[in-house]
Amino acid sequence: MLRKMISAFNAELDSLSSQLKDPIQRRRLFKFLLVHLVIILAAAVCVYPLLRIFSVSLRPGDKLFSTDLSLVPAGATFKAYASLLKDTMFLRWLWNSLVITIATSVIGVSLASTAAYAFSRFRFPGKKAGLILLLSSQMIPAGMLILPLFLMIMKLKLMNTYLGMIIAYSVSSLPFSIWILKGYYDTIPRSLEEAALVDGTSQVGAFWRIILPLSTPALSIAFLFNFTTAWNEYLVARVVLFSSKQYTWTLGLFELQGQYITQWGMFAAGSMLVTIPVLCVFLYSSKWLISGLTLGSVKG
Amino acid sequence: MEILRSLYEVVWFIVLIALGVGALEGYFYYHFKFHDRRWFFPAALAAFPLAALAVSAPLSAPSFAHWLWFLGAEAVVAAAFRWIVRGRHTLPYLLLAPAFVGLALLLVYPFVFEFYLSFHDLKLTTIMMWKNTGRIPFVGLDQYIKVFTTSPLSEVTFWALLGRTLLWTFTNVFFHVLGGFALALLLNNSIRFKGVYRTLLVIPWAMPQVVAVLAMRGEFHATNGFVNIVLGKIAAAFPFLAHLGVGPVQWLSDWPLTTCTIINIWLGIPFMMVVILGGLQSISSSYYDAADIDGATYFQKLRFITLPLIRPVLMPAVTLGTVWTFNNINVIYLVTGQAGGTEQADILVSALYKAAFTYNRYSYSAAFAIVVFALLFFISVTYLHGFDAAKEER
Amino acid sequence: MASVQFKGIIKKFKDNTVLNGVDVDIKDHEFVVIVGPSGCGKTTLLRMLAGLEDVTGGDILIDGLRVNDLHPSKRQIAMVFQDYALYPHMTVEENMSFALRLRKTDKGEIDARVSEAASILQLQKFLKRMPKQLSGGQRQRVAIGRAIVRKPKVFLFDEPLSNLDAKLREEMRVEIAKLYQRLNATIIYVTHDQVEAMTLAGRIVIMNKGIVQQVGSPIEVYRKPANLFVAGFIGSPTMNFMHGRLSLEGEKLVFSNADIKLTVPPYLLSDQKKHDGREVTLGVRPDDVLVGRDGQDCSDKVDGVLEVCELLGHRENLYINVGGMRLLATVEAFFNRSPGSAVQLCFNYRNMHVFDKATEKRISD
Repeated sequence: MLRKMISAFNAELDSLSSQLKDPIQRRRLFKFLLVHLVIILAAAVCVYPLLRIFSVSLRPGDKLFSTDLSLVPAGATFKAYASLLKDTMFLRWLWNSLVITIATSVIGVSLASTAAYAFSRFRFPGKKAGLILLLSSQMIPAGMLILPLFLMIMKLKLMNTYLGMIIAYSVSSLPFSIWILKGYYDTIPRSLEEAALVDGTSQVGAFWRIILPLSTPALSIAFLFNFTTAWNEYLVARVVLFSSKQYTWTLGLFELQGQYITQWGMFAAGSMLVTIPVLCVFLYSSKWLISGLTLGSVKG
Repeated sequence: MEILRSLYEVVWFIVLIALGVGALEGYFYYHFKFHDRRWFFPAALAAFPLAALAVSAPLSAPSFAHWLWFLGAEAVVAAAFRWIVRGRHTLPYLLLAPAFVGLALLLVYPFVFEFYLSFHDLKLTTIMMWKNTGRIPFVGLDQYIKVFTTSPLSEVTFWALLGRTLLWTFTNVFFHVLGGFALALLLNNSIRFKGVYRTLLVIPWAMPQVVAVLAMRGEFHATNGFVNIVLGKIAAAFPFLAHLGVGPVQWLSDWPLTTCTIINIWLGIPFMMVVILGGLQSISSSYYDAADIDGATYFQKLRFITLPLIRPVLMPAVTLGTVWTFNNINVIYLVTGQAGGTEQADILVSALYKAAFTYNRYSYSAAFAIVVFALLFFISVTYLHGFDAAKEER
Repeated sequence: MASVQFKGIIKKFKDNTVLNGVDVDIKDHEFVVIVGPSGCGKTTLLRMLAGLEDVTGGDILIDGLRVNDLHPSKRQIAMVFQDYALYPHMTVEENMSFALRLRKTDKGEIDARVSEAASILQLQKFLKRMPKQLSGGQRQRVAIGRAIVRKPKVFLFDEPLSNLDAKLREEMRVEIAKLYQRLNATIIYVTHDQVEAMTLAGRIVIMNKGIVQQVGSPIEVYRKPANLFVAGFIGSPTMNFMHGRLSLEGEKLVFSNADIKLTVPPYLLSDQKKHDGREVTLGVRPDDVLVGRDGQDCSDKVDGVLEVCELLGHRENLYINVGGMRLLATVEAFFNRSPGSAVQLCFNYRNMHVFDKATEKRISD
């Protein structure tokens, strides 16, 4: 990949330098170099912290606090990964996160799928008010709702449990999911449902047999969005979970870095293990996420 | 005080009954078409309160007043469902019900509860009492007065926090849009490796925020962070710069807000970039061709074509970005939130979180939250009005 | 197979009246085409019959049974949609068998019916394909196949050919005609294309502004249009209209306006004296405007100026100005005159139509 890039880059440079005599071409070359230079610089700034985490995670235990800037440190080792998995409850944390996150996403998406269908296909009193309520719920500071949720969970005796976390998370991405799904349902022609009605399904049957199977792309995007939001959440988890056995990975990592002796190596290793899959999922789905983000507002 | 207390109980019971009993009744109405039977309405009036009372009895001792509330709420719920189910909109309401019950329970109810809390005094010393008896001392507007007169944390005042929040929001959004716009313009050229560049540039957004912020915090570490290492090397290599004051800085203890701002700008640019890039790519190139024929320079094209045409994309993104930045606890809390962390970087929402969960002043932070919400609400309404007016003009 | 009756059908969307008292009787085994300009309510009428729209007023009967409040699937109808509405996530076979599977029909029975329909429509090769992999014409066949498989009492077609290109449309038109002969079913077919209506229909229902204008066989509506709207809508090129006044001159009834003066023969308007002083509109199809060789034997000729000639191949359209009026005449190619030259024309009075100007109703026999 990298080699291909470099050779293509060289080819471009060659073709341009042969035309250097022409002043217009010279300006083009200048512009070309400038654009690439700036973008490469920006990209470096964006990627560098990630690379640094990677490099720190490879450092041998005695050189954690060095001022060395090289990406692959001298005496690189995977010891930090090994001790992370062995000496801490990292896997347990990942499992906790996974359970909470998947339950949250399933609940969130199923609630959103029917609500979005109602908004997309029916006219009923209160439709506009409902949509406005959804949009304006985005205005409520998340930090504001943590306290009452915390107190509710305490009163229900759900502190330090999966269920408490799932309850706290389940509706947080609901408005956004509804918007994405509504936008997608709107693009499915109504005549498909009408054909299904004539063929003998009920309205709900048409939704179940026709609309839902056709909406798999949007449903998976909504699922991914719910998933990443809950997966990366920190603030609610911090107040609801208090025994390290129940921690999600975000709490665990913060703990690693926040203890009196910072476990830099293990923190970095854990970060890498968590980030890589999330990064892949995000990059894969970012296109749809963005169209979902802008869709509602542009149309409204 | 007693009146307010009982008023609160009214709200509590109506919400409880409307949601719980109402859902059950709706189910029966819908599936068994009970509403066609003449005896249903009186039967429901009598039977469901009994069931609801049996369920809720352990929570509090039933009294005559409760009976009245049950009957009243019951009548309201029954009438509402009668109207809904009889009408032609049964299906959409049933489809919406789960989502909106969820939102009511976990978004609207907490909101109302927070309002209730702000008039009472729930703190570390009264929380056990609340847990056991469900009662908290009523204090009226005291908490609100305290919000404006005492410090939410240990030294910083409300007004300082407010100023800091506005500065924080403005600086962040400004640099997000500027940076995002610049990068989007660069990426919008027909250049090679566009996809690769784009992927690399969105990484700060794509990384889990906890990891990204903690990693960046590491880079600002006094001795081991990248920033100070580089500054130290520069100072060593160019002594004249060192004389001008360039050199390692105690970022986390001396300049915490600046550090947080830099980190948040780094985090936020990719989102703006992607949104603006989407907007730029949707502009038909024929406008630029026409402008070229009209003899427009690069900056004229930017000013008269690009900017007006990406406005519909930019405005919502800026609105969203402003709200997000205003409400951003993550960055500041993760950078300064540990034990012994500084207060110098706190903005309204992070102070709110710390007041509740570091200092355990629950009611105080509830009042604080209501004030912050009112502020945000006022700002957004004003802003949206301005936005609408601008929309009408065009 | 079954009969269908619409009795005083009214449809309102809020304050907007779309259908205003539609009465049509459709007999068993009949192929009825509902035709009209867009927005005339024809599709709404069909969708009401299918059960996809609520009925505001009036009754719909299938086989004498009132179906107003019956679920679409219980009405024993099948519908072919304008955009085909094939389920994109099912193969052709699954699309065709969906309704039967919903009814839990016996597996062998389903296979038999699907393969029968597929053979009628020559779809055997495509049964395992997804709709996306088919051409427009093939999708159309699948949509029809899906209807056939269900063996409904009534077939409903909602502008089924409008998404096809011209050549394919002609082919499918013939296919549908063949299909009708084979199935011998009751078919209700909605279109805005009067050519489809004329070629396919046993009877045509012409609608405009939510009102049925005329019901009749293609020949009837062409030969004896009931009003100005039908006269203008059916037939291509469009009929020529001349507005003027009738007056009695001696024994003869004379039509006259600023540009033209014609004697109206008694076989057109029998009771001539009754029409004295009536404002009327005269309608003549372009074929019945006789020019050149065709008009040699005419008695009362009118002078005009040739404005434009359009050669269509074997026919030629002539736009002729008579005073301030422009008349269209269709004649055998080639009409060898240059634009601007004076021509004489006359009318075939036997095929002329007279309409009252105020009521727009036909008054000639």
